[in-house]
Amino acid sequence: MTSDDMPHRALLPAGLADLLPPDAAREAALVEAMLAVFAAHGYERVKPPLLEFEDSLLAGSGAAVAEQTFRLMDPVSQRMMGLRADTTPQVARIAATRLANVARPLRLSYAGQVLRVRGTPIASERQMPQAGIELIGAATAMADAEVALLGVEALAAVGVTDVALDVLMPTMTPALLDAARVVPPLRQKLARALDRKDAADVAALAAEAGAPALTALLAAAGPADGALAALNAADLPPAARAIADNAAAVIAAIRARAPGLRITLDPVEFRGFTYHTGVAFTLYGPGGELARGGRYLSGEEPATGLTLYPDAVLRMAAPAAPAPRLFLAPGQDGAAHRAAGFVTVAALSAADTPRSLRCTHILHGQTPAPIED
Amino acid sequence: MDLPINERSLRMEAQTPLVLALPKGRILKELGPLLARAGIFPAADFDDEDSRRLRFETNDPGLDVVRVRPFDVATFVAHGGAQIGVAGGDVLMEADSPEVYAPLDLGIGRCRVSVAEPAATAGRDDPSRWSRVTVATKYPNIAQRHFAARGVQAEIVHLNGAMELAPGLGLARLIVDLVQTGSTLAANGLVETEVIAQVTSRLVVNRTALKTRPEAIAALIARFRAALPA
Repeated sequence: MTSDDMPHRALLPAGLADLLPPDAAREAALVEAMLAVFAAHGYERVKPPLLEFEDSLLAGSGAAVAEQTFRLMDPVSQRMMGLRADTTPQVARIAATRLANVARPLRLSYAGQVLRVRGTPIASERQMPQAGIELIGAATAMADAEVALLGVEALAAVGVTDVALDVLMPTMTPALLDAARVVPPLRQKLARALDRKDAADVAALAAEAGAPALTALLAAAGPADGALAALNAADLPPAARAIADNAAAVIAAIRARAPGLRITLDPVEFRGFTYHTGVAFTLYGPGGELARGGRYLSGEEPATGLTLYPDAVLRMAAPAAPAPRLFLAPGQDGAAHRAAGFVTVAALSAADTPRSLRCTHILHGQTPAPIED
Repeated sequence: MDLPINERSLRMEAQTPLVLALPKGRILKELGPLLARAGIFPAADFDDEDSRRLRFETNDPGLDVVRVRPFDVATFVAHGGAQIGVAGGDVLMEADSPEVYAPLDLGIGRCRVSVAEPAATAGRDDPSRWSRVTVATKYPNIAQRHFAARGVQAEIVHLNGAMELAPGLGLARLIVDLVQTGSTLAANGLVETEVIAQVTSRLVVNRTALKTRPEAIAALIARFRAALPA
């Protein structure tokens, strides 16, 4: 192909895609089913706009996605706007302003699309759906457990049950580095080695930094019971001990309500959890991440939240059986059959046949009957 | 709330075998004894370089091995196609993939990533005066990062082999390459002027696999750890 060739009109910008039947309907149904679970637990839905001024969009937790945010100039106000790359900062803004007078704890839910400047090497999408909850104004382990378990319940509601919960303590590594007074550039090197779980580098750098606990905590990651035991055995400074005790309390609260849930604990992972102030977590399905969440500051208030990725959920949820399609010849009435669960497709001309309309059933008298091949 | 990092891998059901990606070539020979001590015995034709097969079962029904190019180990593991692999530190530095964890240093394949230039010009000018420099390498990211850190743009000539020819034939001023003994450099009139990093082979693990199949992955890591020379 030369550069003179006209681009094909089906070609979309990188990372953008059309969702076709039946996937578009399935994704919408998944989102609504998950939102229904949130609503049943008292989470009320909000709908922030796609665009807002960048200074409010990128405040607080929004700073973490600043470099992933598309900007455009508002010709009306002459101020810079951002296209949301994440919904949490918008919900935090709503909670702090328009809903400031509502009694806490405040339980809010949302669903919508977000845009990112860049995909990752592994997942190239730049537009993706989000569905999530925020629990604002509650600082207890019970609140963290509620949010994590609601994610599990929402996934179960759409048929994704092979789920593992990975509990993280994004504040643990900074607390240990602070306690050992580790300063740059050693601090960055050590953070990077921890991020990649490069055991050889961590051991060498942690010894140099005088924070040997990091090596033990790196090795502790794994199934929750073993990891909690290793945390208990580790020699931790007071700030780090408080973080570990809090994580243990959250895991105990989750265990109490979901004894069968597979839980892993990773004390030194902090990847992508830059604004979190307490326990964070990731929900994994067999093929990757399905949701992320954790504790953060919503303005000045303690908050915890969870974001589900409906596109990832869609890839992992078993496909639902398509509804039977009933052919209606001109003059036939389908209301009773639609009420009975059929999709009816009306012929508009003599050229429309049951086959051309991809129908599975036709009416024999008043009774739908499968089409024989 | 954060950037999703989703593997588009095929579904990894708990009962499907883990896939171990091994690099063809130099490292594979050093790896043989280590695999044996770890109790991993691939099918007989695995060691046959002429075999057309790429995926081999092992004595462990829960573990298959694949044989791929060294750089591709990082790619297979990053995408979750292989849950575990053996990759050189050079490959990991170059790929720089957040999806790949390196939990164990295997201590084999010891060498270094270095800068080299023709013996005739080495030391003849002051690199602190450079704005940019042309570099022939198969490690464009490593080279770019290395020179950027000292305020120099590296203009990369990306080659897949025979980097040592590049300065003499006018493709580049310097090369960045893997050096084991230095004899290839010497034979081509080059001298090693700077070591960017010492390199050994690492056992690498896919991030999602470590979270979703922690017991199986941890057991494999433990087998490799036990197989390392004391």
